[in-house]
This record gives sequence, C-alpha cells and structure tokens, in this order.
Amino acid sequence: MAANKQQGSYFGLFLAGATVLCAGFAYFGSGTGKALLALGALGIVGSMLGYMGIKPLEGMTAMKPGSGGMKLVGAGVALLGWLLTLAGIHITDSAGGRIIFALLGIAVSLVGILYILPAAFNKNALWKGESASQRTGMTAAKTTMEHSR
Amino acid sequence: MKKILRNSCLALCVFALVLAIGLMAHAQTAPATAAPAAAPAAAVPTASPADAELKDAAGKAPATADLAKGDPGGTLTGTINDVPAADSKAGVTIPDVANQVGQNKIAVNFVWTLVCGFLVMFMQAGFAMVEAGLCRVKNANHTYMMNFFVYTCGLFAYWILGFAIQMGGAAGNSNLGGLQPLASEHTLSMFGKTWGLFGQSGYFLAGHTYDVGVMVIFLFEMVFMDTALTIVTGACAERWKFATFAVTSVIMGAITYPLFGNWAWGAGWLSQLGTNAGLGKGYCDFAGSGVVHAVGGLTALAVCFIVGPRIGKFNRDGSANPIIGHDISAVLIGCFILAFGWFGFNPGSTLGASANGNLRIGTIAVATMLAGCTGTLGAIIYMWALKGKPDASMSGNGLLAGLVAITAPSGFVSATNACIIGLIAGVLVCISCAFVENVLKVDDPVGAISVHGTNGLWGVLSVGLFADGTSNYGGSWNGVTGSVTGLFYGDASQLAAQLIGISTLIGFVFTLSFVINLALEFFMGHRVSIETEVGGLDIPEMGQLGYPEFVFRPEPAYSGD
Repeated sequence: MAANKQQGSYFGLFLAGATVLCAGFAYFGSGTGKALLALGALGIVGSMLGYMGIKPLEGMTAMKPGSGGMKLVGAGVALLGWLLTLAGIHITDSAGGRIIFALLGIAVSLVGILYILPAAFNKNALWKGESASQRTGMTAAKTTMEHSR
Repeated sequence: MKKILRNSCLALCVFALVLAIGLMAHAQTAPATAAPAAAPAAAVPTASPADAELKDAAGKAPATADLAKGDPGGTLTGTINDVPAADSKAGVTIPDVANQVGQNKIAVNFVWTLVCGFLVMFMQAGFAMVEAGLCRVKNANHTYMMNFFVYTCGLFAYWILGFAIQMGGAAGNSNLGGLQPLASEHTLSMFGKTWGLFGQSGYFLAGHTYDVGVMVIFLFEMVFMDTALTIVTGACAERWKFATFAVTSVIMGAITYPLFGNWAWGAGWLSQLGTNAGLGKGYCDFAGSGVVHAVGGLTALAVCFIVGPRIGKFNRDGSANPIIGHDISAVLIGCFILAFGWFGFNPGSTLGASANGNLRIGTIAVATMLAGCTGTLGAIIYMWALKGKPDASMSGNGLLAGLVAITAPSGFVSATNACIIGLIAGVLVCISCAFVENVLKVDDPVGAISVHGTNGLWGVLSVGLFADGTSNYGGSWNGVTGSVTGLFYGDASQLAAQLIGISTLIGFVFTLSFVINLALEFFMGHRVSIETEVGGLDIPEMGQLGYPEFVFRPEPAYSGD
C-alpha cells in the first residue's frame, strides 16, 4: 500500500491540529487560548495515532531494525558536545579558551554523528545481506547507465 | 444707557477682531506644529529662505499642459509637484520634503528586499530541477512534487508559528522602518546576562503585526526558510514516503529552522555573544550559510540516517554503486537558476539598498559571483585531475558549494577572499561527497549533505577567518560598535563566536532534527515499501508518471534475502 486516502485525511487532521495549537500559543494568556492549545494537541496526537494504525499495512521496507539504544546514545553524545561548548563560554573569559572549548565540543559532537550513529544504523544494514542476484542486477544497471551516459 | 450699549458693541467687535486674527495666526502655524516628533526643529518660520526656495521651485516646475505634450527625455517627470504637501494651501514645506525623503528610503529598501525575496523564491525551481535531474526517471514526479509541496508546507508552517518564533523579537531594523511590532523576545537570565531564546509575536501575522514592514520581512525570511526545507528533499529522494516528508517539512518550517534563525538573526543568544560575552560582533551569518544551508544539510543527514540508503546503492562489502540521474541538462540549468537566485539571497540580506552602509550590495554581489566561479573551478579541476573527467554533476555541486560557502561571509569579505573561500568549497564538496558515501555509508543522491551541510559550516567558519573589517552597516553589528573582523585581520574572538555557532548547529540542530524524525519513524515510518521503491515512486506515491510516454527498462526483482 502506497499513498492512500487515510494518509491524506490524517495529514489534514495534523495541519488542522497544528493550526489550532498555534492559535492557542497566540492567545495563551486567555482561557480560550489554553482550550485551543489542548484541542490542537489532541488533533496532532490523533493524526499520529492514525498514521501509526495504518503503518503496518504499508508493506515491508528495505530496512532492518537497528540498535535503538545506540541511536539515542549517538544523539546524546552530539548534544553533549554542544553543552561542553556552552560551558566554555562561562568557564573562561579568554577568546583562546573559548575557542578550545568550542573545538572540544565540536569534536565530541562529531564523534556522536560520524562514528556512533553510522555504526548504529549500519550494524544491521540491509545491503550487508543483499543477494548475489541483486548485486549482479545492480552491476548490469550500472553498466547500462554508464553506456547511456 | 445708550453709551453703555455702544461701548459694549465696540468691545464685542474688538474681541471678534482679536479672535479672528488669532485664528488666522493659528491656521498659519498649524502645519509646523504638526511636524513629526522625530524632527522637533522642524517648527521653522513659515517664511524661511528654504520655504521661499521651495515655492520658487514649485513655480518653475512644469505645468500640466507641458506634461500633456509628453516627456520623451524624462526631464520633466519627477519634480517638486510630486512631493505631497500636508497642507495644499501652504504648498510644499521643509517637513513635507523631509518626510518624503524618509519614506523614499524605506520604499527603496522595501522594493529591494521584496525583489530579492522574489529571486530567492524562484530558487525553488532550480532546486526542483537539480534534484529531479539527479534522480532516476521512475521517481521524477515524486521528486518534483516534493520540491513543489515543500513550498506550501513550509509557508503555512512559517505563517502559523515559525515566523513568530524566529522574528517575534527582531524589532529595531531601521532599514525597514523599525519593525516595532516585533518586540517580544522570550529571554532567559543566566550568569547575570539576559539571553534571547525565541520570539513571541507575529503568529498568523495578526493583531499589531498587521504592518507593512512586518509583511516585507516575513516574505523575505519565509523564502529563506523554504530553501532550507528543500535541501532535505534532495538528500532523501527516491525512497521517502510522501506523507512523512510533508509532516516533517511542516515541523521543520515551524520549529527547527525558526529556532536557530532566532538565535542568529532574531535577537537570540548567538547574536548576543558580542554584547553579553565580548566575542567579536556575536555570531555573524550574513545571509545564512549556517541558518539556511547548514540547518538544511544537517537535517538532511539526520533524516538520511533514518531513511537508509536506496536499494542497490551499496554492495555487501560496503562499496558504493553509482546511481546516475536521468537528466543532466535539468541539473545544470537548475544550477544556473540557483546561481541567479543567489543574487537575491546574498545582496538582499542587507534588507535595503539605501542608508546604513547598504551600498555594499555591489561588493556582495561580486563576492557571490566569484565564489561560485572558483567553487566550480575547484570541483572541476579536482575531478578532472583525480578521476579523469570533468564530472558534470560534481561541477554543478562545485558551483553550489561555492555559493553556499560565501553566503555567510559575503557581507564582510573582499573579492580575493571570496575567491579563496569558493575554491576551498569546490574541493571540499568533492571530498565530503566521497566521505559521506564511502565512510558513513549514507546515500545522498544529490550531494545535499556535502553541498549545504559541510560547506554551510565552512561558510560560517570563514567569517571568523576572512572578515576584513571594512564593512560598515550603520556603524555596528549585533549591537556591537565596529565592523566584523576575523582572525586573519586581528580579532580571534570573532572566530570563537563562529565556532560556538558551528557547535550549536552540529550539537543542537542536528540532534533536534534527529530526535523529531526518529519519533516520526516510530509513528509513521519514513521509507516506502520495497515494491514501491523498486518499481518507482511515481505511480504508487503520486498516481502518475513523470514521463508517461517513456519506455522503462525493468529492473531486476528484489529478493531481499
């Protein structure tokens, strides 16, 4: 199952919910604003639950479940690097010191993004188990494309 | 009794005469007292020499009969007669002329900003052509439609929420009349300083933000935001579920992009690093290498991790197969459209062409051109020398990389430095594309992560290195007196501010995008089914082929074992 009526309906509900939610933000000081906020949030949650309901019907994807914990660790390490940089602003007053803290923070974030996350996502990557026939097919396709080029 | 009556009539007549004279005098001085509060000295005598000169000029102005004969040389059109007078009986006065000058300045800046915004909006067409051209023909409709629909999703999200978050506290821009309705920034007091977090006015452009200046800044900022959103569609093309793309685009246009946009451009904490922490002029990103391109590129990386590579992109040993796009002509024409639109992107970011040092728009435009030129050169020479061919798609990416990199420093650097920045970007995009594909095993069909992410970060860094301290936009930047100056010109603290911005992009923006899209993966799923992906997304996702009269060569069935 690809794009379908339910998806369209839930997207409409999501947009309507988001609009009402934002109206709630705009008039947050009043009772009406708070009511709109709750109503909008309800619409968004409803659309997400709707999407979750039809997700199993949409067919198997070319993805295998990876390590969920490692994905969050990768994101956490990336965030940690940013917090380290922020700490540097207050720990030292010198430009050189802040540059060092910022570089350290960037390095820590990059470990999360360029090392931990790829490892988490590629651990069970589908291409690691792709069949010989598929690879042969891709080689043939590649040759065709290079000729046409 | 008769005498009393006569004296009373006489007194009444004298009183009436005094009253009449007083009223006449008041009528003559009324225009002067009604002058704008900003110019109290405007209460000039009614018969000043300047007023006499104005009356003289009005007398010499061409009459209606002269104008009716036509003005082929343009020498009669545009005179003192075109200056509106507050009091038609008194004629044009000095306050009238002063008001007209002020309004002309704002009008020039409005028109400049709007026209540049229109140019940036046209970049959407360029992005659509580049991305669709680099994809296979079986996904052409889907890729074009993502580029088309992202405009709508982003615009709507920005109108209901994003603009308020980004620019809700951005009052004070004198180029656009002050933008005083946008004066509500939510702040946090920390370590004795007040830091801006997000704006709070401008939801739905309603209430007091129903204002001419606010509308101009909304349009200009909106098209920038949409540029960031459309970067992601290219990186995730050929396997991204349309529904999830639509929802994530709305969220990005409402929250992710505006939040960083506020921190950099909307009186947020990054822009306050100069005033609050003594770091140069605060985080400086003239036209958005970081705000637009790095945000888009890093979000693209986050979504690409989650959505995974296309079927057949990688072999079992991890080596990558090239999947060639279907229309290189669309790619290169799209690149030209983008380069054209960039003249709105960078020079337009002065938000005006009149006053406050805005005559630097020529320098900015030339820097933009040159960086694109050297970016192309860098990519072509790198590919030609190392791979043997001047690769067309990488040449286009080299042009875009140079333009992306010069976006942040374009307002602060010389032509020579622009060339250096662009050349480095052109080589960097080639290296980054290879790194993303071969080391990270991330499949990015159009190279968006490298073009916009890597080079967006390089652009932000280059401000801290190459800003030469010659720009002068009203004498200060981000509330700090003086000109933006990088490390090579003597200010190391500016480099620190830029690095903090880069760390925020990598550590915060990436993480926020990643977590949001991981949640959407849980609820909706990002990826289309195997059958849809192998057969092409056009029919299952869009219901129509991009090129219905083309004959497809069927691809081998996917076994999935």
